[in-house]
Amino acid sequence: MSQQITLNVNGDGHVVQVEPDSMLLYALRDNLGLRGPKFGCGLSECGACTVLRDGKAIRSCITPVSAVGTSRIITLEGLGTAEHPHPLQQAFIEEQAAQCGYCINGMIMQAASLLKQNPHPSRDDIKKALNGNLCRCGTHMRIVRAVERAAGRANG
Amino acid sequence: MNAKGNDLPSASDIALSRRAFLKSSGGLVVAFNLFGPAVAADTAQESVAPPPAGNLYAWLAVHPDNTATLFTGKVETGTGVQTALAQIAAEELDFPFDRLAVVMGTTSKTVDQGPTYGSMTIRYAGPQIRHAAAAGRQALLDLAAKHFGVPASQLTAKDGAVSMLRSASRTITYGKLVDGKRLNIDIGASGERFAMKLAPKAHLKDPSTYTVVGRPIARKDIPDKIMARFVYVQDVRVEGMLHGRVVRPYGVEATLQSVDETGLKKIPGFVQVVRRDNFLGVVAENEWAAIQAAAKLGSTLNPSGPDAGQAKWSNWNGLPQMDQIWETVRHSGGRDSSAVSHGSTATALAHASRTLKATYKTPFQMHGSIGPSCAIADVKGGRATFWSGTQMPHETRRDMAKLLDIPLDGIEVRWFEASGAYGRNGLEHVVADAAIMSQAVGRPVRVQWMRWDEHGWEPKEPPIVQDLQAALDDSGHVIAWQHHMWIPTTADTHLTAAALIGRPEATGHIGSAGVPIKYAYNFENADVAAHDEGRVGLLTAWLRSPAQFETTFAMESFIDELAAAARQDPLAFRLAHLDDDRAISVLKAAAQAYGWQSRPAHANADPSGKHAHGRGMAWVNRDETRVATIADVIVDPSSGRINVGRVVVAHDCGLVINPDGLKNQIEGNVIQSISRTLHEEVTFDTAHVTSRDWQGYPILRFEEIPDRIDIVLVNNSPEHMSTGGGEPSTCPTAAVISNAVFDAIGVRLRQMPFRPERVKAAMS
Ligand code: FES
Ligand code: FES
Repeated sequence: MSQQITLNVNGDGHVVQVEPDSMLLYALRDNLGLRGPKFGCGLSECGACTVLRDGKAIRSCITPVSAVGTSRIITLEGLGTAEHPHPLQQAFIEEQAAQCGYCINGMIMQAASLLKQNPHPSRDDIKKALNGNLCRCGTHMRIVRAVERAAGRANG
Repeated sequence: MNAKGNDLPSASDIALSRRAFLKSSGGLVVAFNLFGPAVAADTAQESVAPPPAGNLYAWLAVHPDNTATLFTGKVETGTGVQTALAQIAAEELDFPFDRLAVVMGTTSKTVDQGPTYGSMTIRYAGPQIRHAAAAGRQALLDLAAKHFGVPASQLTAKDGAVSMLRSASRTITYGKLVDGKRLNIDIGASGERFAMKLAPKAHLKDPSTYTVVGRPIARKDIPDKIMARFVYVQDVRVEGMLHGRVVRPYGVEATLQSVDETGLKKIPGFVQVVRRDNFLGVVAENEWAAIQAAAKLGSTLNPSGPDAGQAKWSNWNGLPQMDQIWETVRHSGGRDSSAVSHGSTATALAHASRTLKATYKTPFQMHGSIGPSCAIADVKGGRATFWSGTQMPHETRRDMAKLLDIPLDGIEVRWFEASGAYGRNGLEHVVADAAIMSQAVGRPVRVQWMRWDEHGWEPKEPPIVQDLQAALDDSGHVIAWQHHMWIPTTADTHLTAAALIGRPEATGHIGSAGVPIKYAYNFENADVAAHDEGRVGLLTAWLRSPAQFETTFAMESFIDELAAAARQDPLAFRLAHLDDDRAISVLKAAAQAYGWQSRPAHANADPSGKHAHGRGMAWVNRDETRVATIADVIVDPSSGRINVGRVVVAHDCGLVINPDGLKNQIEGNVIQSISRTLHEEVTFDTAHVTSRDWQGYPILRFEEIPDRIDIVLVNNSPEHMSTGGGEPSTCPTAAVISNAVFDAIGVRLRQMPFRPERVKAAMS
């Protein structure tokens, strides 16, 4: 049966009416109208659906809504604003790090999670952190450069 | 100028679009704001015919706040053409790039300029838009002449304003001149689609004065994509919309025996099953319900058999055996065509002192878009509206008219960008799926394929087999060359849904690729021919550089085999057999940027080393764009793993509109083609595709990307016509890697992909 469940998304509480065992991705996209997290595979294989849960990257396509509890979810929309883009967003724009851009939500959210744990990643650290995220357009070189640029900026 | 007033049908929508793009950083384009959900619900009375190509308003609108909109039937597929076309228009119109929005693809707003494929957008649509914009500039000068009461020759246009040559303070903006009216001006048009010629009398700028074309301007679409503001077709929501999922047959041509609907009604939000002949789908009020219902019927990652789900299919096993696929291709019917036939190759081969022979094989590969195909259809009575990411909205409109038996006048395709497609993937097919489901339920239906629908049912690049033979004379010169290829179609445009409802021929046809190669060597005796076939096994349609990725692999690897046999440096050997100046210059440019030292391949090899290093080169002429690529590889002999180190690409597509946009494309081509070379092969049993997810069909990951990709642009100047950049740099990669592996370990890889187990097998 569908239930009313409260989710903490991008700093606000939202009540959604969903099946508790349905996946968080659909609540974010269809109930809350968010566009950052994307459906790519639904199998935890590509990373397009990545969001932050209490600061750590998770795959919303395989995370049941019932498992979210009171944890704080941040999506690409909640990472920065038009006036104050997140350093990663700024760096991705400066590096022109997108082709179709469909994977980029996952790249930025995964990188945000990395920079929280490791503010000074090496190039290999970045590649390792993003290794589970797929990009079919082949934007990898620019994505790596953008994360390096953001890390440099975040590090001062 | 038509003075009937502000008669642009959707002026208020354009205003909305304009505000939105000016607000966001970098002057973004927001085509979607023209057709947001609020206006989507009722467009029943408006004409949905495309605007007339010969009228300026079909291409340009200038708004009172001095912003403007470019309309084009081309679409953005992630390659940056939206920005490049806007640069061309802004340049000729003398209008600020940041204030120019672009509306793409939507069939009621744009002229059919042909599909967006084949690296043909800049080459063919570029001049069309250039002429239209030049006509626009002339129209504005004429308006200003009236306004100032002087001849147009005494006026000058710059940055969206016209001023008097002799008193620069007398100036008026385009926006004020046009005053909210539609640019209802005949500019002249002849021909259609790619061959369309516009505004033949327009006075074009001298390219040496260009200030916008040729600059690495930031792409219009990227900030919204990074800030989660962008609306992909997957993000479109329409009033009253239901969610649909398809349930495809277990075997490709299996027939539907029965559908047991037990339990479906218990799924909250489930609406109904849509069954029409062998077409099966479900619709529901929410996505999760649609996914659950489809799963019950059998739409899962790994269904165990034709009757594993509640939908029962016949036991169909008509696909060829996977391990026999090249034999099947070799023996399939087709038509022979020849690219080159001169001298007497057979005689030369029979009598030469030294001959070589090799066979190259490449598998089915897939487009593998990260976002599965998605579309919304709203089919009601004699009208149908689609929201689609297709690369060919105008074709899709015609196809849907045929499929649904609805007059063309009642059909509109509203285009929104999708996840990159790299050719014809599922985006056209999913429109038909949505159409059939919407027609059945009488409401708008959004259909998104599941990952296994995309991997399983998107049209594939076909498997190809190629035989090569050549003869060398005593001095190591090639005296005969034979290259025969067997190629299933790369242009089967039949729609799967049409076949499933029992009308396979309702739309589409099987196109012929001819001989997908540009032979450019000057061998004395040469015979280059293709056996051009229909569908072999799976549905196949163009994937980035269709068949030419594969034919370049064979041609450029075999040349390397000959150079090695002649103990000659691979660059010198190629140059000695080439007359094409532009080919020679990209090869030399790549060699120079790389720091190429002359030596035969595999002359430096150190068999004792744990990791063997090698270098390889190859080049291509794809539709007049020349690309030469050189790369370093490291082969780990113990695991068979290949790593690509540095890559150097010399690229000649003539005048480059946006150098950074082109570099982004070249990097993408290089990485995607490394992925295709090292990893990619569609697997199948006799019923269906078995590589139905990213585990079954792995692609290149971050830990495997090259160390660097250096790019040299050659002949980037106005005297060289702009040709395409979306695909050509895909072509050389497989040969480059194969040649580099030979240089490293002395082993030839002639079958893609070069997975570690295959490398190890070749070594032993
Ligand atoms: S959509 Fe979640 S990992 Fe692919
Ligand atoms: S930019 Fe298209 S998938 Fe990464």
